[in-house]
Amino acid sequence: MNYHLLPFTFTRISNHEVLVNELGDMIISPFGTVYKLVNREPVDEELFKSLAANFFVSDTAIPVLSDIYALRLREKKRFLDQFTALHIFVLTLRCNQNCVYCQASSCNEDCTSVTMTMHTMKKAVELMFKSPSPYLTMEFQGGEPSLEPKLLRYGIELAEEINKAEQKNINYVLCTNCVDLTDEVMDICKQYKVMISSSLDGPAYLHNTNRGKKDSYEKVVAGFERARSILGHDQVSALMTTSELALDYPIEIVDEYRRLGFRSIFLRALNPYGLATTNPDWTDYTDRFIEFYKTALNYIIDLNIQGTFFIEEYAAIILKKMITPYTTGFVDLQSPAGIINSVLVYNYDGYVYASDESRMLAEFNDYTFRLGHVDEPYENIVYGKAAKNAAKYWSNEALAGCTDCGVRTYCGADPVRNHSTQNDLYGYRPASLLCRKNKAIIEYIISLIIERYDEVMPIFKSWLL
Amino acid sequence: MCCQPPLAVDDIEELYQENIERVMNAPKGLPMIGITGGEPTLLGDKLIDLVALVREQLPDTEIHILSNGRAFVDGNYTMRLAAAGGDKLVVGVPFHSDYCLDHDLIAGCKGAYNETMIGLYNLAGAGVCIELRIVMNAINYRRFVPMAQFIHHNLPFVGWIAFMGMEYVGYAIKHSKNIWVEPKSYIPELCEAVKYLAEWNYDVCIYNIPLCLLLEQYRKFAVKSISDWKNKFLDLCDECSVKANCCGLFSTSIKPYEGLKPID
Ligand code: SF4
Repeated sequence: MNYHLLPFTFTRISNHEVLVNELGDMIISPFGTVYKLVNREPVDEELFKSLAANFFVSDTAIPVLSDIYALRLREKKRFLDQFTALHIFVLTLRCNQNCVYCQASSCNEDCTSVTMTMHTMKKAVELMFKSPSPYLTMEFQGGEPSLEPKLLRYGIELAEEINKAEQKNINYVLCTNCVDLTDEVMDICKQYKVMISSSLDGPAYLHNTNRGKKDSYEKVVAGFERARSILGHDQVSALMTTSELALDYPIEIVDEYRRLGFRSIFLRALNPYGLATTNPDWTDYTDRFIEFYKTALNYIIDLNIQGTFFIEEYAAIILKKMITPYTTGFVDLQSPAGIINSVLVYNYDGYVYASDESRMLAEFNDYTFRLGHVDEPYENIVYGKAAKNAAKYWSNEALAGCTDCGVRTYCGADPVRNHSTQNDLYGYRPASLLCRKNKAIIEYIISLIIERYDEVMPIFKSWLL
Repeated sequence: MCCQPPLAVDDIEELYQENIERVMNAPKGLPMIGITGGEPTLLGDKLIDLVALVREQLPDTEIHILSNGRAFVDGNYTMRLAAAGGDKLVVGVPFHSDYCLDHDLIAGCKGAYNETMIGLYNLAGAGVCIELRIVMNAINYRRFVPMAQFIHHNLPFVGWIAFMGMEYVGYAIKHSKNIWVEPKSYIPELCEAVKYLAEWNYDVCIYNIPLCLLLEQYRKFAVKSISDWKNKFLDLCDECSVKANCCGLFSTSIKPYEGLKPID
């Protein structure tokens, strides 16, 4: 047989050989398929036809339909087209809670030196509008950003003002613990359709233990209700973080989200940043998280089978890359990485960072991903030294360990995480716990598709429509 | 593979004039005009003129062109046709297989697949609504499911997808040994492919397959697709409860499909 191989990677999952091309198209085939292809030995006729149709093999070195291949690849990298869409404004480090795994190195409510000045806000908003993206998301974080209503209003109103000329599509998101949503804050949210993104770790005993307060859960849930009644049910979303304690409660956490009227959950692992680095054993945590994730995902699938529509967001992101011709804007699973390309962070102190996690490193005096200061010109920031340095390591297509990884097109590059955990932006995949986690989860999702196709596919599709 | 055998005569000019007259005399409320052939794009610029004329005379009428899609390799031609047709232009393009050699074999022409694929992308780029037509036959039915997946990954922009039962006449007879297959042998593949596409919310329909050959949950995809002057029913159909919604059989087919059985 005479044909050429086009670029693809492969791996073995559930007794099958899974081949994935650069477009994320996946072919599930028997063991030994790749060996046969490489040696031009015959494979099953229908399988061969599928490989030819889907850009795995070609009878010419450059496929005749390479323009279509290119268009499809462009669609998969669409998130690069418009450059930074997510702009995070860290209004303050002040906070009214004291969470055990706080990643934002908060200080207590009375502290004043950790709040963004009006000048910084103005400069940051102006920088945001330098991004060519027609879609902008302005996300307010902290500490607890709702403690700074004046600054919040100023930032939004300035953006609205500038946008009269710019005519971009702007979304506002307030990341708040919902503990103390004052009328003033609610007014701003209502007036400018600000979405509330909150955090809830699960049932009361779990949430309160994590938050280091007895009544945090009650306050948060009351806050949800209040925000929903004023802003609308769908304007409020919640994020969970899987603390060590939470690892034992996958089902309870999912049930809690359902009980509170959410239609999805994002099962999110802890980050090794901020106070969370005091967590004793990261390898152990990662392995336990993977099991936690599988249990929760299976439970969610069962709920869907029984007729309850409920989405696991992380799986949905991976599935979108896997079973559709499209991609997502999710910043943590991209190549080139989401830093700068998709997200910029304007910190309370006037410095601009490549991502949320980059600014947390800075709280520990590591300024590797500090791109510049809001008083500098835009170009110095996004094309500056720190940006250029990170850019060398932000494509997993070109990282050892990732290039030939079977699930690479569904994964992403993360030089920030590599640096913070391995002290090396390039990273060493065999010892990377992020790699271990992502690979395990992606492969698990593929195994579900292989082993329970008829059951899971209708559900997975319904999550993406 | 074609049910209307191509004639090697140059009938373009004469027929063209006839068609112009038909358009001029058509009632203004006409819902749809079909332009078919042969291969209507062989008219070249005359097709664009004809489409523009219809658009001018019958601004609300949907124009449905049936084409093998190969002429749309010419992006410029495609753009001009799209501009002439406006937003109520639909082009129906046969897609015989996702595997190029099978498609070429069925289309009877080497290179047809690649041209049709590029043509489909050009049509989509020009904003034309595409009806993707899969004529079900012995060569392609094993690939209905891979074809559905291929469509979702490579042609997600199509307006709708039609799986079409074959009429047992014309060219199809000459090649019948290679091409003909009883619908009952491909119903499982057909249903799985329809399910796959419908779950992704594609508009998908089944033409020319009598309802009694389909499991109940797939009957909603079947369309009364055979024109009244071309269809017929068997005696046994009189006992069938869904006859009124059924496409029946081609009166021109030389024998009925196997497995027909009235539904209570
Ligand atoms: S990080 Fe790991 S799972 Fe992700 S692409 Fe690289 S090697 Fe693969």
